[in-house]
Amino acid sequence: MNIKKIMHVENLTHFYGNQIGCKGINFDLYKGEILGIVGESGSGKSTLLKCLSGEISPSAGKINISLDQGGVKDFLSLPEQEKRQLMRSMWGIVHQNPRDGLNLRISAGGNIAERLLNVSEKNYSHLRNTGKYWMEKTEMDSDRIDEFPIGFSGGMQQRLQISKILSSNPQIVFMDEPTGGLDVSVQAKILDTIKSIVRDINVTMIIVTHDLAVVRFLTDKLLVMKDGIVVETGLTDRVLDDPQHSYTQLLTSSILQV
Amino acid sequence: MKTGFNFAYLDEATKRMIRRKILKAICIPGYQCPFGGREMPLAYGWGTGGIQVTASIIGKQDILKVIDQGADDTTNAVSIKNFFKRVCNIMITDRTAEASLIQTRHRIPETTLNKDQIIVYQVPQPEPLRKLEPKEKETRKLHAYKEYALMHVKLYEEISQFGSVIKTWAYPVETNNRYITDPTPIPKFDNPKMNNMEALQLFGAGREKRIYAIPPYTKVKSLDFDDHPFEIQTWDECCSICGSTKSYLDEIIINNEGKKNFICSDTDFCKSNLEKNK
Ligand SMILES: Nc1ncnc2c1ncn2[C@@H]1O[C@H](COP(=O)(O)OP(=O)(O)OP(=O)(O)O)[C@@H](O)[C@H]1O
Ligand SMILES: [Mg+2]
Ligand SMILES: [Zn+2]
Repeated sequence: MNIKKIMHVENLTHFYGNQIGCKGINFDLYKGEILGIVGESGSGKSTLLKCLSGEISPSAGKINISLDQGGVKDFLSLPEQEKRQLMRSMWGIVHQNPRDGLNLRISAGGNIAERLLNVSEKNYSHLRNTGKYWMEKTEMDSDRIDEFPIGFSGGMQQRLQISKILSSNPQIVFMDEPTGGLDVSVQAKILDTIKSIVRDINVTMIIVTHDLAVVRFLTDKLLVMKDGIVVETGLTDRVLDDPQHSYTQLLTSSILQV
Repeated sequence: MKTGFNFAYLDEATKRMIRRKILKAICIPGYQCPFGGREMPLAYGWGTGGIQVTASIIGKQDILKVIDQGADDTTNAVSIKNFFKRVCNIMITDRTAEASLIQTRHRIPETTLNKDQIIVYQVPQPEPLRKLEPKEKETRKLHAYKEYALMHVKLYEEISQFGSVIKTWAYPVETNNRYITDPTPIPKFDNPKMNNMEALQLFGAGREKRIYAIPPYTKVKSLDFDDHPFEIQTWDECCSICGSTKSYLDEIIINNEGKKNFICSDTDFCKSNLEKNK
């Protein structure tokens, strides 16, 4: 079977002035894969994700992307317009704080509709049905489609943000600690939802977390980061069960004690 | 004539500058061109943008009509007419068909405009995205990249909450399949008149210092959804003066019991229609 490579990253490096953000990152991402990025606070996870999703321009390195239509492209030299268009439909970011990804002055349905309208969907009933469909898929009550997310709990807002992103059937989804700001009990439920959906729709995803339980539960492949560099990478089960790098060993032993 | 002013108030260099912006605006239909707006002897909100556009293109042989909400005799229209009478000494008319230049606030005349006419709109707020996106830098990008999803979200929200789009004036349009344009606070009843209009349409915003244009015979489409098509206002009543069933009607209360009457908002149309039907 020939699985399509959709992202190729080479020597990706970002400095904030003299401060290392991330350095010399290499990996390939294949269609349908879920890649986890783990590491302690300040290890460069968010920096890497922001470089990959176009939020910041890295200091050095290469990102080749392969889109469903259009062949292989040099992501970093795409014009701003194309990058924005990618993020608005074919790619999607689920922010840790749902307020960064939602428009709180627009109804739940309107938030989902906005994403679909970016791909010039101009049929009201279809927007509405798709909105309801995705709300149900993320285990929300679709009767609340006309309510404003400002009145939703943090967990509900996060579910809505996920609905919105997935509604356009994106090729790659980026998530940075999607449950980080939520109560532990809510976290588990949302992770359950994410897991069931990603298996269902076979989405390709890069997810940042420092929770190894999430990693085990959700990801196929893992990058372990420390001080801005990748210290270990491999299939998730292999990395967790047979860690090679001393830092990964420390990381995995600390979770076992819990 | 000795008025102490240059013809049409503005000096020739300023007029040339504004004309250049008008030409640019015509070349990019619906695009808002910034221009170096001048102070006019009227407060913002009284049509200073429209006046500057009119002053830049008006000639001695022009016949000017000025309307406010469809009427030729309201304060705003009268003071603008007086201004141009004083600084240009040109002919003024109330008859749409006679005018070569029409400056308007909040209406398009009912009489179909022709290729020898120019209509100048006074624009209170040129940016149709402003209420949705307060940052100017971002709205410019949204226009540049044609990212107009938010505009339709607004319509989506109205349909979801009220069953239909409730926006009845300043109803946004797409010009020449490209720029989303604010038609100024005209009733949506007038939107279809903008489509393929024979006359040149110019828009001047004084406070925001923007000029935009819709050249003759340009496609102007009111935003809508496939399954919720754009519709104009309709009335069960006809005009109580001329009997018209085709014009935009204003509702007026005529006695203390709140009895209502409907009359044409376009006073010139109403008069002509009455004469014709006599
Ligand atoms: N905007 C910035 N300006 C300067 N330094 C920054 C900036 N953002 C991050 N850094 C630094 O870059 C390094 C990597 O930060 P990053 O936010 O990528 O880490 P992280 O792994 O996401 O951490 P956390 O788990 O706390 O979110 C850190 O040393 C951080 O202090
Ligand atoms: Mg982070
Ligand atoms: Zn009438």
